[in-house]
Amino acid sequence: MTLAPAHVAGAGMIRFGKYPADVTLERMAVGAARAALLDAGADLTQIDACYVGHVFGGPVAGQRIAAQLGLDGLPVSNHENYCASGATALREAWVALAAGLHDVVLIVGVEKMTDRVAGGVRPDPGDLDAAVGYVMAAGHGLSARRYMADHGATREQIAAVAVKNHAHSVHNPFAQYQRPVSIEEVLNARPIAEPLGLLDCSPISDGAAAMVLCTPAGLRRLGLVAPGPRMLGCALVSGSVRPGTGDVNEEDVSRRAAEEAWKLTGIGPEDIDLVEMHDCFTIAEIVRMEGLGLIPRGAGAAWTAAGETSLGGRLPVNPSGGLLSRGHPVGATGVAQACELTWQLRGTAGGRQVEGARVGLSYCKGGTVNGTDGGSVTTLVMSK
Amino acid sequence: MPAVAAARPFREGLLKLTPPRLLGSRCGRCATVTFPPREFCPGCRAVEPITETELSPEGTVYSFTVVRQAPPGIEVPYVLAYIDLPEGVRVLGQVVGVAPEAVTIGVGVRLEPTAFGRDGDGTELVGYRFRAASEVTA
Repeated sequence: MTLAPAHVAGAGMIRFGKYPADVTLERMAVGAARAALLDAGADLTQIDACYVGHVFGGPVAGQRIAAQLGLDGLPVSNHENYCASGATALREAWVALAAGLHDVVLIVGVEKMTDRVAGGVRPDPGDLDAAVGYVMAAGHGLSARRYMADHGATREQIAAVAVKNHAHSVHNPFAQYQRPVSIEEVLNARPIAEPLGLLDCSPISDGAAAMVLCTPAGLRRLGLVAPGPRMLGCALVSGSVRPGTGDVNEEDVSRRAAEEAWKLTGIGPEDIDLVEMHDCFTIAEIVRMEGLGLIPRGAGAAWTAAGETSLGGRLPVNPSGGLLSRGHPVGATGVAQACELTWQLRGTAGGRQVEGARVGLSYCKGGTVNGTDGGSVTTLVMSK
Repeated sequence: MPAVAAARPFREGLLKLTPPRLLGSRCGRCATVTFPPREFCPGCRAVEPITETELSPEGTVYSFTVVRQAPPGIEVPYVLAYIDLPEGVRVLGQVVGVAPEAVTIGVGVRLEPTAFGRDGDGTELVGYRFRAASEVTA
Protein backbone atom coordinates (compact mmCIF):
# COMPACT_ATOMS: atom_id res chain seq x y z
CA MET A 1 0.00 0.00 0.00
CA THR A 2 1.10 3.56 -0.59
CA LEU A 3 0.53 6.11 2.14
CA ALA A 4 0.16 9.81 1.40
CA PRO A 5 3.50 11.58 0.97
CA ALA A 6 4.57 14.18 3.53
CA HIS A 7 5.68 17.63 2.44
CA VAL A 8 9.02 18.92 3.66
CA ALA A 9 8.33 22.42 4.98
CA GLY A 10 11.68 22.95 6.66
CA ALA A 11 15.10 21.43 7.20
CA GLY A 12 17.90 22.55 9.46
CA MET A 13 20.95 21.29 11.28
CA ILE A 14 23.94 22.41 13.22
CA ARG A 15 27.45 21.63 12.07
CA PHE A 16 28.47 18.14 13.18
CA GLY A 17 31.69 17.81 15.14
CA LYS A 18 33.11 17.55 18.63
CA TYR A 19 31.56 20.05 21.00
CA PRO A 20 32.67 20.98 24.52
CA ALA A 21 30.78 19.65 27.55
CA ASP A 22 28.69 22.79 27.99
CA VAL A 23 27.13 22.30 24.54
CA THR A 24 24.53 19.83 25.74
CA LEU A 25 22.35 17.40 23.82
CA GLU A 26 19.37 19.66 24.49
CA ARG A 27 21.18 22.75 23.24
CA MET A 28 22.23 21.07 20.00
CA ALA A 29 18.72 19.76 19.39
CA VAL A 30 17.19 23.17 20.04
CA GLY A 31 19.66 24.75 17.59
CA ALA A 32 18.74 22.34 14.81
CA ALA A 33 15.02 22.61 15.58
CA ARG A 34 15.07 26.41 15.48
CA ALA A 35 16.83 26.27 12.10
CA ALA A 36 14.18 23.90 10.70
CA LEU A 37 11.30 25.97 12.12
CA LEU A 38 12.82 29.13 10.66
CA ASP A 39 13.26 27.42 7.29
CA ALA A 40 9.57 26.41 7.39
CA GLY A 41 8.43 29.85 8.56
CA ALA A 42 6.67 28.02 11.39
CA ASP A 43 6.18 29.29 14.91
CA LEU A 44 5.96 27.10 17.98
CA THR A 45 2.17 27.25 18.19
CA GLN A 46 1.84 25.66 14.73
CA ILE A 47 3.51 22.36 15.67
CA ASP A 48 1.29 19.40 16.56
CA ALA A 49 3.85 16.85 17.73
CA CYS A 50 7.54 16.15 18.11
CA TYR A 51 9.45 12.98 17.11
CA VAL A 52 12.96 12.60 18.49
CA GLY A 53 15.58 10.06 17.43
CA HIS A 54 18.56 9.38 19.69
CA VAL A 55 20.49 6.43 21.15
CA PHE A 56 22.53 7.62 24.12
CA GLY A 57 20.39 10.59 25.13
CA GLY A 58 18.91 8.96 28.20
CA PRO A 59 15.33 8.81 29.43
CA VAL A 60 12.83 11.24 27.88
CA ALA A 61 15.51 13.17 26.00
CA GLY A 62 12.80 14.33 23.62
CA GLN A 63 10.77 15.84 26.44
CA ARG A 64 13.91 17.47 27.88
CA ILE A 65 14.50 19.05 24.47
CA ALA A 66 10.84 20.09 24.07
CA ALA A 67 10.92 21.82 27.46
CA GLN A 68 13.86 23.97 26.30
CA LEU A 69 12.47 24.51 22.83
CA GLY A 70 8.99 25.63 23.87
CA LEU A 71 7.14 22.56 22.65
CA ASP A 72 6.40 21.24 26.14
CA GLY A 73 3.01 19.67 26.51
CA LEU A 74 2.82 18.23 22.98
CA PRO A 75 2.89 14.55 22.08
CA VAL A 76 6.64 13.85 22.16
CA SER A 77 8.06 10.40 21.42
CA ASN A 78 11.60 9.03 21.61
CA HIS A 79 12.78 6.63 18.88
CA GLU A 80 15.73 4.26 19.17
CA ASN A 81 16.90 2.00 16.33
CA TYR A 82 20.62 2.59 16.93
CA CYS A 83 22.10 4.32 13.86
CA ALA A 84 18.68 4.34 12.17
CA SER A 85 17.02 6.18 15.08
CA GLY A 86 16.64 9.51 13.28
CA ALA A 87 15.27 7.85 10.16
CA THR A 88 12.86 5.83 12.29
CA ALA A 89 11.58 9.05 13.89
CA LEU A 90 10.98 10.43 10.39
CA ARG A 91 9.12 7.27 9.42
CA GLU A 92 6.84 7.43 12.46
CA ALA A 93 6.13 11.10 11.77
CA TRP A 94 5.23 10.31 8.14
CA VAL A 95 2.88 7.52 9.30
CA ALA A 96 1.11 9.89 11.73
CA LEU A 97 0.64 12.52 9.00
CA ALA A 98 -0.69 9.93 6.56
CA ALA A 99 -3.09 8.70 9.23
CA GLY A 100 -4.49 12.20 9.64
CA LEU A 101 -3.43 12.36 13.27
CA HIS A 102 -1.32 15.52 12.84
CA ASP A 103 -0.77 18.18 10.16
CA VAL A 104 2.56 19.79 11.11
CA VAL A 105 5.25 17.89 13.00
CA LEU A 106 8.84 18.44 14.03
CA ILE A 107 11.42 15.67 13.80
CA VAL A 108 14.76 15.98 15.58
CA GLY A 109 17.70 13.60 15.40
CA VAL A 110 20.39 14.27 17.98
CA GLU A 111 23.39 12.70 19.65
CA LYS A 112 26.08 13.83 22.04
CA MET A 113 28.70 11.09 21.68
CA THR A 114 31.96 12.68 22.77
CA ASP A 115 31.14 12.51 26.48
CA ARG A 116 29.47 9.08 26.32
CA VAL A 117 31.33 6.90 23.81
CA ALA A 118 35.04 6.03 23.65
CA GLY A 119 36.97 3.74 21.31
CA GLY A 120 34.05 2.99 19.03
CA VAL A 121 30.50 1.70 19.30
CA ARG A 122 29.56 -1.91 19.96
CA PRO A 123 26.50 -4.10 20.35
CA ASP A 124 24.49 -4.36 23.54
CA PRO A 125 26.56 -6.17 26.21
CA GLY A 126 23.85 -8.85 26.37
CA ASP A 127 24.35 -9.81 22.72
CA LEU A 128 26.50 -12.90 22.16
CA ASP A 129 28.68 -11.09 19.61
CA ALA A 130 29.71 -8.58 22.27
CA ALA A 131 30.77 -11.41 24.59
CA VAL A 132 33.34 -12.68 22.09
CA GLY A 133 34.84 -9.26 21.30
CA TYR A 134 32.73 -7.89 18.46
CA VAL A 135 32.93 -4.14 17.94
CA MET A 136 31.33 -2.43 14.94
CA ALA A 137 34.64 -1.82 13.19
CA ALA A 138 35.48 -5.53 13.48
CA GLY A 139 32.28 -6.52 11.69
CA HIS A 140 33.24 -4.30 8.78
CA GLY A 141 36.83 -5.57 8.80
CA LEU A 142 35.42 -9.10 8.43
CA SER A 143 33.18 -7.86 5.61
CA ALA A 144 36.01 -6.06 3.79
CA ARG A 145 38.42 -9.01 3.99
CA ARG A 146 35.84 -11.35 2.48
CA TYR A 147 34.75 -8.84 -0.16
CA MET A 148 38.33 -8.49 -1.37
CA ALA A 149 38.75 -12.27 -1.52
CA ASP A 150 35.45 -12.88 -3.31
CA HIS A 151 35.51 -10.06 -5.84
CA GLY A 152 39.19 -9.31 -6.36
CA ALA A 153 38.65 -5.80 -5.02
CA THR A 154 41.75 -3.96 -3.87
CA ARG A 155 42.42 -2.12 -0.63
CA GLU A 156 42.86 1.05 -2.70
CA GLN A 157 39.41 0.69 -4.28
CA ILE A 158 37.80 0.40 -0.85
CA ALA A 159 39.79 3.38 0.43
CA ALA A 160 38.46 5.37 -2.54
CA VAL A 161 35.11 5.63 -0.72
CA ALA A 162 36.76 7.77 1.97
CA VAL A 163 38.64 9.88 -0.59
CA LYS A 164 35.41 10.53 -2.51
CA ASN A 165 33.26 11.38 0.52
CA HIS A 166 35.86 13.69 2.05
CA ALA A 167 36.19 15.47 -1.32
CA HIS A 168 32.40 16.00 -1.34
CA SER A 169 32.38 17.34 2.22
CA VAL A 170 34.59 20.27 1.27
CA HIS A 171 31.38 21.83 -0.07
CA ASN A 172 29.22 21.06 2.98
CA PRO A 173 29.27 23.73 5.72
CA PHE A 174 27.60 21.29 8.13
CA ALA A 175 30.27 18.58 7.77
CA GLN A 176 32.63 17.72 10.60
CA TYR A 177 35.71 17.55 8.31
CA GLN A 178 35.33 19.69 5.17
CA ARG A 179 38.79 18.72 3.98
CA PRO A 180 39.99 16.35 1.26
CA VAL A 181 42.10 13.30 2.11
CA SER A 182 44.46 11.49 -0.23
CA ILE A 183 44.43 7.78 -0.94
CA GLU A 184 47.84 7.56 0.80
CA GLU A 185 46.40 9.14 3.95
CA VAL A 186 43.66 6.52 4.05
CA LEU A 187 46.05 3.63 3.40
CA ASN A 188 48.60 4.84 5.95
CA ALA A 189 46.17 5.72 8.73
CA ARG A 190 46.38 3.90 12.05
CA PRO A 191 44.89 0.39 11.70
CA ILE A 192 41.59 -0.09 13.56
CA ALA A 193 40.19 -3.45 12.41
CA GLU A 194 42.32 -4.79 9.58
CA PRO A 195 42.16 -4.22 6.69
CA LEU A 196 40.38 -1.03 7.79
CA GLY A 197 42.16 1.97 9.27
CA LEU A 198 41.10 5.16 10.99
CA LEU A 199 39.98 6.95 7.82
CA ASP A 200 37.81 3.99 6.81
CA CYS A 201 35.72 4.65 9.94
CA SER A 202 33.17 7.35 10.60
CA PRO A 203 34.16 9.52 13.56
CA ILE A 204 32.62 9.85 16.99
CA SER A 205 30.54 13.00 16.63
CA ASP A 206 28.11 15.38 18.28
CA GLY A 207 25.31 16.98 16.33
CA ALA A 208 21.66 17.49 15.59
CA ALA A 209 19.41 17.80 12.56
CA ALA A 210 15.72 18.60 12.28
CA MET A 211 12.86 18.71 9.82
CA VAL A 212 9.32 20.05 9.69
CA LEU A 213 6.99 17.71 7.80
CA CYS A 214 3.38 18.43 7.01
CA THR A 215 0.20 17.39 5.22
CA PRO A 216 -1.44 19.57 2.53
CA ALA A 217 -3.55 21.07 5.32
CA GLY A 218 -0.33 21.76 7.19
CA LEU A 219 1.09 23.60 4.18
CA ARG A 220 -1.96 25.87 4.27
CA ARG A 221 -1.54 26.39 8.01
CA LEU A 222 2.03 27.53 7.42
CA GLY A 223 1.00 29.69 4.47
CA LEU A 224 3.32 27.83 2.11
CA VAL A 225 2.31 28.20 -1.51
CA ALA A 226 5.19 26.33 -3.11
CA PRO A 227 5.39 22.91 -1.49
CA GLY A 228 8.94 21.72 -1.03
CA PRO A 229 10.19 18.24 -1.76
CA ARG A 230 7.93 15.38 -0.75
CA MET A 231 8.90 12.49 1.47
CA LEU A 232 7.21 9.67 -0.45
CA GLY A 233 7.82 7.15 2.28
CA CYS A 234 10.30 5.38 4.47
CA ALA A 235 10.56 1.60 4.67
CA LEU A 236 11.78 -0.17 7.79
CA VAL A 237 12.99 -3.75 7.93
CA SER A 238 15.04 -5.70 10.44
CA GLY A 239 17.85 -8.15 9.89
CA SER A 240 16.76 -11.77 9.84
CA VAL A 241 18.41 -14.78 11.46
CA ARG A 242 20.61 -16.27 8.74
CA PRO A 243 21.38 -19.93 9.31
CA GLY A 244 24.08 -21.59 7.23
CA THR A 245 27.36 -20.35 5.81
CA GLY A 246 26.36 -17.93 3.06
CA ASP A 247 28.00 -14.74 1.80
CA VAL A 248 28.55 -12.35 4.70
CA ASN A 249 28.16 -9.50 2.19
CA GLU A 250 24.90 -10.75 0.70
CA GLU A 251 22.99 -7.86 2.34
CA ASP A 252 19.66 -9.61 2.00
CA VAL A 253 18.36 -7.12 4.55
CA SER A 254 19.25 -4.26 2.18
CA ARG A 255 17.58 -6.05 -0.73
CA ARG A 256 14.40 -6.36 1.33
CA ALA A 257 14.60 -2.72 2.41
CA ALA A 258 14.87 -1.65 -1.24
CA GLU A 259 11.93 -3.81 -2.34
CA GLU A 260 9.85 -2.41 0.50
CA ALA A 261 10.77 1.16 -0.50
CA TRP A 262 9.82 0.61 -4.14
CA LYS A 263 6.53 -0.95 -3.02
CA LEU A 264 5.74 1.88 -0.59
CA THR A 265 6.57 4.75 -2.91
CA GLY A 266 6.02 3.58 -6.48
CA ILE A 267 9.59 4.64 -7.25
CA GLY A 268 11.98 2.18 -8.90
CA PRO A 269 15.75 1.82 -8.73
CA GLU A 270 16.10 3.40 -12.19
CA ASP A 271 14.47 6.62 -10.87
CA ILE A 272 17.11 7.33 -8.20
CA ASP A 273 19.36 10.31 -8.98
CA LEU A 274 21.41 10.34 -5.77
CA VAL A 275 21.86 8.34 -2.61
CA GLU A 276 22.71 9.36 0.92
CA MET A 277 24.18 6.04 2.07
CA HIS A 278 25.05 4.90 5.59
CA ASP A 279 28.82 4.71 5.08
CA CYS A 280 29.72 4.15 8.72
CA PHE A 281 32.75 2.37 7.23
CA THR A 282 34.10 2.53 3.66
CA ILE A 283 33.21 -1.08 2.84
CA ALA A 284 29.66 -0.58 4.13
CA GLU A 285 28.85 1.95 1.39
CA ILE A 286 29.94 -0.57 -1.22
CA VAL A 287 28.11 -3.69 0.00
CA ARG A 288 24.93 -1.80 0.90
CA MET A 289 24.68 -0.10 -2.50
CA GLU A 290 25.01 -3.55 -4.02
CA GLY A 291 22.44 -4.97 -1.61
CA LEU A 292 19.95 -2.28 -2.66
CA GLY A 293 20.46 -3.40 -6.26
CA LEU A 294 21.75 0.02 -7.32
CA ILE A 295 25.22 -1.29 -8.21
CA PRO A 296 25.92 -4.77 -9.64
CA ARG A 297 27.12 -7.36 -7.11
CA GLY A 298 30.89 -7.19 -6.67
CA ALA A 299 31.27 -4.02 -8.75
CA GLY A 300 30.94 -1.40 -6.01
CA ALA A 301 34.62 -1.02 -5.22
CA ALA A 302 35.60 -0.69 -8.88
CA TRP A 303 32.71 1.75 -9.48
CA THR A 304 33.95 3.93 -6.63
CA ALA A 305 37.55 3.98 -7.82
CA ALA A 306 36.35 4.85 -11.33
CA GLY A 307 34.36 7.85 -10.10
CA GLU A 308 30.93 6.41 -10.89
CA THR A 309 29.63 7.33 -7.41
CA SER A 310 31.29 10.76 -7.28
CA LEU A 311 29.55 14.07 -7.98
CA GLY A 312 29.19 14.15 -11.74
CA GLY A 313 29.35 10.34 -11.95
CA ARG A 314 26.72 7.83 -13.01
CA LEU A 315 25.07 7.67 -9.55
CA PRO A 316 26.41 10.15 -6.97
CA VAL A 317 26.56 8.64 -3.49
CA ASN A 318 26.96 10.81 -0.39
CA PRO A 319 27.31 14.28 -1.93
CA SER A 320 27.08 15.53 1.68
CA GLY A 321 30.31 13.77 2.60
CA GLY A 322 28.45 10.88 4.19
CA LEU A 323 28.99 9.62 7.71
CA LEU A 324 32.72 9.37 7.03
CA SER A 325 33.11 13.12 6.60
CA ARG A 326 29.89 14.87 7.67
CA GLY A 327 30.27 12.88 10.90
CA HIS A 328 28.04 10.32 12.56
CA PRO A 329 26.22 11.43 15.71
CA VAL A 330 24.24 8.19 15.56
CA GLY A 331 20.73 9.43 16.38
CA ALA A 332 21.09 12.48 14.13
CA THR A 333 22.36 10.81 10.96
CA GLY A 334 19.02 9.73 9.45
CA VAL A 335 17.61 13.24 9.79
CA ALA A 336 20.80 14.84 8.43
CA GLN A 337 20.54 12.59 5.37
CA ALA A 338 16.93 13.75 4.81
CA CYS A 339 18.05 17.39 5.18
CA GLU A 340 20.65 16.75 2.47
CA LEU A 341 18.05 15.20 0.16
CA THR A 342 15.85 18.26 0.78
CA TRP A 343 18.59 20.70 -0.21
CA GLN A 344 19.59 18.61 -3.21
CA LEU A 345 15.99 18.39 -4.46
CA ARG A 346 15.47 22.12 -3.90
CA GLY A 347 18.63 22.72 -5.92
CA THR A 348 20.26 24.68 -3.11
CA ALA A 349 23.20 22.37 -2.33
CA GLY A 350 25.81 24.75 -3.79
CA GLY A 351 29.16 23.19 -4.65
CA ARG A 352 27.89 19.70 -3.93
CA GLN A 353 24.70 19.98 -5.99
CA VAL A 354 23.80 16.89 -8.01
CA GLU A 355 22.71 18.38 -11.35
CA GLY A 356 19.07 17.77 -12.18
CA ALA A 357 18.33 15.77 -9.04
CA ARG A 358 14.65 14.81 -8.97
CA VAL A 359 14.51 11.73 -6.75
CA GLY A 360 16.80 10.77 -3.88
CA LEU A 361 17.11 7.85 -1.50
CA SER A 362 18.64 7.76 1.94
CA TYR A 363 19.60 4.57 3.74
CA CYS A 364 20.39 3.88 7.37
CA LYS A 365 21.46 0.64 9.01
CA GLY A 366 21.40 0.56 12.78
CA GLY A 367 22.84 -1.93 15.19
CA THR A 368 23.79 -5.58 15.06
CA VAL A 369 22.12 -8.68 16.46
CA ASN A 370 24.04 -11.95 16.72
CA GLY A 371 23.18 -14.40 13.96
CA THR A 372 21.35 -11.84 11.79
CA ASP A 373 22.38 -9.66 8.87
CA GLY A 374 21.67 -6.45 10.75
CA GLY A 375 19.60 -4.64 13.31
CA SER A 376 17.38 -2.06 11.62
CA VAL A 377 17.43 -0.77 8.05
CA THR A 378 15.52 2.23 6.71
CA THR A 379 15.15 3.37 3.10
CA LEU A 380 13.64 6.83 2.72
CA VAL A 381 12.59 8.15 -0.68
CA MET A 382 12.10 11.83 -1.48
CA SER A 383 11.11 13.51 -4.72
CA LYS A 384 11.10 17.07 -5.99
CA MET B 1 35.63 -22.58 54.65
CA PRO B 2 33.08 -22.20 51.84
CA ALA B 3 33.51 -24.57 48.95
CA VAL B 4 34.62 -22.90 45.72
CA ALA B 5 32.06 -23.53 43.05
CA ALA B 6 33.28 -25.33 39.96
CA ALA B 7 33.78 -23.37 36.75
CA ARG B 8 30.65 -23.15 34.63
CA PRO B 9 29.75 -21.99 31.11
CA PHE B 10 29.27 -18.22 30.97
CA ARG B 11 25.83 -18.80 29.48
CA GLU B 12 23.56 -21.75 30.08
CA GLY B 13 23.02 -24.07 27.15
CA LEU B 14 25.73 -22.57 24.92
CA LEU B 15 28.59 -24.98 25.50
CA LYS B 16 29.66 -28.01 27.56
CA LEU B 17 33.06 -28.26 29.14
CA THR B 18 34.10 -31.92 29.07
CA PRO B 19 34.91 -32.43 26.33
CA PRO B 20 34.60 -28.80 25.17
CA ARG B 21 31.80 -28.56 22.62
CA LEU B 22 29.51 -25.79 21.42
CA LEU B 23 25.83 -26.67 21.61
CA GLY B 24 23.51 -25.84 18.76
CA SER B 25 19.88 -26.58 18.06
CA ARG B 26 18.60 -28.87 15.32
CA CYS B 27 15.19 -28.66 13.69
CA GLY B 28 13.42 -32.01 13.51
CA ARG B 29 11.34 -30.81 10.59
CA CYS B 30 13.92 -29.39 8.14
CA ALA B 31 17.24 -30.40 9.78
CA THR B 32 18.55 -26.80 9.96
CA VAL B 33 21.24 -26.49 12.64
CA THR B 34 21.85 -23.15 14.37
CA PHE B 35 24.25 -21.68 16.88
CA PRO B 36 23.48 -20.31 19.38
CA PRO B 37 20.52 -22.61 20.08
CA ARG B 38 17.12 -21.03 19.44
CA GLU B 39 13.59 -21.94 20.43
CA PHE B 40 12.49 -21.71 16.81
CA CYS B 41 13.94 -22.85 13.51
CA PRO B 42 15.12 -19.89 11.41
CA GLY B 43 14.94 -22.17 8.36
CA CYS B 44 11.27 -23.18 8.49
CA ARG B 45 9.93 -21.35 11.61
CA ALA B 46 8.95 -24.58 13.36
CA VAL B 47 8.98 -24.42 17.16
CA GLU B 48 9.03 -28.19 17.62
CA PRO B 49 10.68 -30.58 17.56
CA ILE B 50 13.85 -28.64 18.27
CA THR B 51 16.65 -30.63 19.89
CA GLU B 52 20.07 -29.80 21.30
CA THR B 53 23.01 -30.94 19.21
CA GLU B 54 26.76 -30.94 19.81
CA LEU B 55 28.79 -29.14 17.17
CA SER B 56 32.11 -30.29 15.77
CA PRO B 57 35.07 -28.66 17.54
CA GLU B 58 36.95 -28.18 14.27
CA GLY B 59 36.26 -25.60 11.61
CA THR B 60 37.82 -23.24 9.10
CA VAL B 61 38.24 -19.47 8.98
CA TYR B 62 35.69 -17.88 6.61
CA SER B 63 36.88 -14.32 7.25
CA PHE B 64 38.95 -12.56 9.91
CA THR B 65 40.05 -9.20 11.18
CA VAL B 66 42.73 -7.99 13.56
CA VAL B 67 41.12 -5.64 16.05
CA ARG B 68 43.60 -2.94 17.04
CA GLN B 69 41.28 -0.42 18.68
CA ALA B 70 38.42 -1.20 21.04
CA PRO B 71 36.50 0.51 23.82
CA PRO B 72 38.26 0.82 27.20
CA GLY B 73 38.62 -2.49 29.07
CA ILE B 74 39.12 -4.62 25.97
CA GLU B 75 42.75 -5.64 25.40
CA VAL B 76 44.04 -5.30 21.84
CA PRO B 77 45.19 -6.61 19.44
CA TYR B 78 43.15 -9.76 18.91
CA VAL B 79 42.05 -11.78 15.94
CA LEU B 80 38.29 -12.08 15.47
CA ALA B 81 37.01 -14.52 12.88
CA TYR B 82 33.97 -16.17 11.41
CA ILE B 83 34.50 -19.92 11.73
CA ASP B 84 32.55 -22.31 9.54
CA LEU B 85 31.78 -25.70 11.09
CA PRO B 86 31.03 -28.90 9.15
CA GLU B 87 27.39 -28.83 10.33
CA GLY B 88 26.84 -25.76 8.14
CA VAL B 89 27.04 -23.36 11.05
CA ARG B 90 29.03 -20.11 11.26
CA VAL B 91 30.40 -19.02 14.64
CA LEU B 92 32.09 -15.75 15.57
CA GLY B 93 35.06 -16.09 17.90
CA GLN B 94 38.61 -15.08 18.66
CA VAL B 95 41.50 -17.04 17.17
CA VAL B 96 44.74 -17.62 19.08
CA GLY B 97 47.91 -19.59 18.48
CA VAL B 98 48.80 -17.75 15.31
CA ALA B 99 50.42 -14.39 14.64
CA PRO B 100 47.86 -11.90 13.31
CA GLU B 101 49.81 -11.51 10.05
CA ALA B 102 49.83 -15.30 9.53
CA VAL B 103 46.05 -15.80 9.60
CA THR B 104 44.45 -16.54 6.25
CA ILE B 105 40.98 -17.39 4.98
CA GLY B 106 40.59 -21.16 5.04
CA VAL B 107 42.97 -21.85 7.91
CA GLY B 108 41.87 -24.72 10.19
CA VAL B 109 41.00 -24.00 13.84
CA ARG B 110 39.94 -26.00 16.89
CA LEU B 111 37.58 -24.97 19.68
CA GLU B 112 39.05 -24.41 23.13
CA PRO B 113 37.52 -23.22 26.40
CA THR B 114 38.75 -19.92 27.80
CA ALA B 115 38.05 -17.77 30.86
CA PHE B 116 35.22 -15.26 30.36
CA GLY B 117 35.55 -13.55 33.75
CA ARG B 118 33.86 -14.38 37.04
CA ASP B 119 30.34 -14.52 38.30
CA GLY B 120 29.12 -12.46 41.30
CA ASP B 121 29.93 -15.33 43.69
CA GLY B 122 33.46 -15.81 42.35
CA THR B 123 32.70 -18.76 40.11
CA GLU B 124 34.92 -18.85 37.06
CA LEU B 125 32.88 -18.40 33.88
CA VAL B 126 34.01 -20.33 30.83
CA GLY B 127 33.56 -19.19 27.25
CA TYR B 128 35.14 -20.26 24.01
CA ARG B 129 37.69 -19.31 21.41
CA PHE B 130 39.54 -21.11 18.62
CA ARG B 131 43.16 -22.17 18.27
CA ALA B 132 44.83 -22.32 14.89
CA ALA B 133 45.33 -25.99 14.05
CA SER B 134 48.89 -25.70 12.79
CA GLU B 135 50.70 -23.32 15.10
CA VAL B 136 53.32 -21.13 13.53
CA THR B 137 56.34 -21.95 15.69
CA ALA B 138 59.44 -19.85 15.88
